[in-house]
Amino acid sequence: MTTEQKTDTVKITVDGLEMEARPGDLLIRVAQDNGVYIPRFCWHPRMRPVGMCRMCLVQVEGPRGPMIVPACTTPVADGMVVDTQNDTVAKAQEGVLEYLLINHPLDCPVCDRGGECPLQDQTMAYGPGESRFVEEKRHYEKPIQISELVLLDRERCILCARCTRFSEEISGDPLIEFIGRGYNTQVNTFPNEPFRSYFSGNTVQICPVGALLGAPYRFRARPWDLREVASTCPHCSAGDSISVQVSQNEVLRLLGVDNPHTNQSWLSDKCRFGYEFVNSAERLAAPLVRGSDGELREATWVEALDIVADRLGGILREHGGGAVAGLGGARGTNEDAYAFSKFMRTVVGSNHVDARMDDAPASQFLAAVVDRARIDDIDSAATIVVWGPDLKEEHPTLYLRVRAAATGFDPNQVVSNSDGLKIRRPGARLIVMHPRRTGLDDVARHVLRYRPGAGGELLTSLQAGDHPEIDEALAAGPVVALVGRASMTEDPRLAENVAAWLRDKGAKILPLARRANTFGALDMGLAPDLLPGRVPVGEGFESWGEIPTTVGRDTRGILEGLRDGDIKALIMVGADPVADVPDSHLATEALANAEFVVAIDMFHTESTAYADVILPALGFAEKEGTVTNLEGRVQKVNDIVAGEGQSRADWSILDDIARRLGKELGFATAAEIAKEISEVAPAYRGITWDLLEWDEPMGAIVPYGDATQPLQYVPVTTSLPTVAAEMVLHSARTLYDDGVLMRHTPWLHRLAPGAAAYLHPDDAFRLGAREGHRVRVVTKHAEAELEVRLDETLHRGVVYVPFNQPDGPRLGSDPIVRVTAIG
Amino acid sequence: MSDWSEATLERARQIIARYPEKRSAVMPLLYLAMAEEGWLTDHAIEQVAELLDLTPAQVQSVASFYTMYKREPVGRYLISVCTSISCMLCGSDDVLHAIEDEADLPAGETDDDGLLTVEHVECLGACGGAPVVQVNYELIEGVTPEKARELVRWLRNATPAVVNTDEMQELFGGRRSFDWAIPTEDGAVGPYPAFQPYGTVGQDRRS
Ligand code: SF4
Ligand code: FES
Ligand code: FES
Repeated sequence: MTTEQKTDTVKITVDGLEMEARPGDLLIRVAQDNGVYIPRFCWHPRMRPVGMCRMCLVQVEGPRGPMIVPACTTPVADGMVVDTQNDTVAKAQEGVLEYLLINHPLDCPVCDRGGECPLQDQTMAYGPGESRFVEEKRHYEKPIQISELVLLDRERCILCARCTRFSEEISGDPLIEFIGRGYNTQVNTFPNEPFRSYFSGNTVQICPVGALLGAPYRFRARPWDLREVASTCPHCSAGDSISVQVSQNEVLRLLGVDNPHTNQSWLSDKCRFGYEFVNSAERLAAPLVRGSDGELREATWVEALDIVADRLGGILREHGGGAVAGLGGARGTNEDAYAFSKFMRTVVGSNHVDARMDDAPASQFLAAVVDRARIDDIDSAATIVVWGPDLKEEHPTLYLRVRAAATGFDPNQVVSNSDGLKIRRPGARLIVMHPRRTGLDDVARHVLRYRPGAGGELLTSLQAGDHPEIDEALAAGPVVALVGRASMTEDPRLAENVAAWLRDKGAKILPLARRANTFGALDMGLAPDLLPGRVPVGEGFESWGEIPTTVGRDTRGILEGLRDGDIKALIMVGADPVADVPDSHLATEALANAEFVVAIDMFHTESTAYADVILPALGFAEKEGTVTNLEGRVQKVNDIVAGEGQSRADWSILDDIARRLGKELGFATAAEIAKEISEVAPAYRGITWDLLEWDEPMGAIVPYGDATQPLQYVPVTTSLPTVAAEMVLHSARTLYDDGVLMRHTPWLHRLAPGAAAYLHPDDAFRLGAREGHRVRVVTKHAEAELEVRLDETLHRGVVYVPFNQPDGPRLGSDPIVRVTAIG
Repeated sequence: MSDWSEATLERARQIIARYPEKRSAVMPLLYLAMAEEGWLTDHAIEQVAELLDLTPAQVQSVASFYTMYKREPVGRYLISVCTSISCMLCGSDDVLHAIEDEADLPAGETDDDGLLTVEHVECLGACGGAPVVQVNYELIEGVTPEKARELVRWLRNATPAVVNTDEMQELFGGRRSFDWAIPTEDGAVGPYPAFQPYGTVGQDRRS
């Protein structure tokens, strides 16, 4: 690189204050870090500077006298003397604002941004107070809908290029751009192509005026009416920091908060707009019990809990703890998960408990893998391997992070070197293994696509050194590998093998599993083989007294047990196995055959249809606690609205059941649970709410030294079609789907791509089906008629059907299917 | 995906191959698209985007910035009248009005037959020969209002297959500033430039 630095720090003077900085840092950033705020519109700390708006003009002493320069594109140099407030600067600022307002409609009273608008605020603070322009303003059609979620009011736009830069540099899908030039410049989409980006909401948040508007929030509140609380996103296990904003006990908006370790201020539209479910009219508001007529009816808490205790107690007396199993817990807090885990071990006496819905890799791999990478490590990795789900679909903010690393994106980058050329940090070498195209392929150095079910073969050939370019990349320096399950039809143990291979190559591993608090739930012992704090079942855990010591059954085992009658009763905590377990038919049979099912949930689900008692639970924004993300970062979630109807926290429901069974969980508030976790769970020792609120507001990483499990190579099944009529099914999640939270968030639910059969064009040709035609897909347990969509990135012989789509089929995890054309 | 002719696609590939980064070929490809369809249809924008791994919005951004890329249908003859300062001082307003009147078209519009488009443009860099007019980007210097009317009538009646500077300068031009650097013997066959710095249409005479 040509920006070789001679000294480590330089000294500059801003408004008479001495500041130290790294040479080359942008003046606007250095000033801000040292307490001097320079007004700005176009500069954003997470994006490259462009110097478009000129709001940041300051005066710098130069060799030929004072100069007015934009602070956002000026790198600091030793001895620089800067004035940000003198009369010349003030005059420049007034001029810039007067100019920016020439065409601005000043319709603040009807603008969502009014009250929190940088243009409004800075006009108040730095503007001339009066305009000399009396001419007619430029007019555009008032807001036009540029996607289902975003509206654009071009009259308000000040052409700062924040939205366009975000789309190009950060999310990599530049669907909005400037059009025209000069006076007629506007931001817009291409006519036939709406702003359908998974990340479009970020542009609404960073637009310094009210030009880009989020449809779900439009006209819903004024900023001064909002109350807000910091929290953590409930939609994926990356643990993005958010601000939850509420008016009149209703969640109205979520904003991304800049947590440098996780989301760096960005959110996917699923995180941002995925709060509608909290206010859904479908929320369960009172306990429901199934009468002798088979119908559910409302009941009081006392009645419902009595029934649960009575039925569970009966089964426990007759068959013992091993006849009762628990599923779920990955959507709640660590405190709830801990209570569930303690309930299952100490009250029921069973290790049959699992927070994974048979769709994630092994619990030991997820919870106890060493060396676990941190998300931050992605930034400095020389090589990044992604072998698992398409990050864009399952971990959208991680996708942004990996994308930035692979493109060498650096917001600190000073724009030019002495030749006036852009300097780019060379990007990390990105290697992507997946059965079809992923969002990252365009920035990847190596893309290996394989047939689902043949992941084991690919791994063997990699281990045999058949891919020297991959070996070379892996040898190149710090390697971070993001490893998870790429397809529901793939052996879940493959991920562990992949991780073992990569770790042998010196990589640090980030395990992937989507459901928001999967990692917290496993850390709290919601796995058949783990106790809180990553302690393996069977090892001493005195704090809980007498508990079962043999490893229990995982989700699949539990469902099989219920089906076969070895397990009689099931407790579901925010679990919907019928929809979430890939082998839906197994879940259905299991629930139908269960003697007694109790569900603690926010909504009716396909699984609660089999419940004897349904207990309404508090959800996101209604309870306080902690969650743990995939790197082991523990963060707070906070309550800001009162819960729906009579719903209660999971832990308190479980505690009431425990009391009726003559036991006690031993805590009366979530805070007490948190305290207990920090005392008894070895890896969580010392991680208290106080710590997270005061000392580590961006989260504390669970040290993994205490409980680790070596990764193992385990035999993985490879399934190959045996006759020509058979194909291999690839089944993977999409960002928007038919999951329970999405189903009750209509803004997003309708954006799900829908069920379809994606085929390689050659296969479609062979079947005599064209794009839009219908084919029949027959699996071992299900069949479906699906529309054909062509996808040349699939291997021949593979059919991809997105998992869990609205009105979509549940095809199961068996990879061998038959596909025939219809008609 | 594409309905450009194989020859045009091949030309596009050759142009793309000249640049270290694909996206740099956006401007020559837009000229190529104009030569293919006469103006930049949405479809042409999508086609260029696909060839360059850009989004249509990005290509549209470039196409809408430069006035020589037309996002609306243009007549077979595009008459551009310079109204920047030198030409204005030498009477370009009268020239423009004469053309508008003779063509019965306000500047910025195209007649119903799709034969003529009249526009006024900024400095064409031929101030020494002001006022200047271009037909399909072929320059005529020292134009008077009378000659301008003749020009319009000629285009309408003779509908030349090719227009070129030398011929039109002879017929309708006046004082000429200097010998034009752009070779003109071929002339323009449509409302897009025939002088091809990128060699997008016909033969690249510079190489
Ligand atoms: S829409 Fe907003 S973010 Fe985009 S350029 Fe205009 S003012 Fe900037
Ligand atoms: S913030 Fe510096 S020019 Fe816009
Ligand atoms: S002003 Fe007309 S050519 Fe320059």
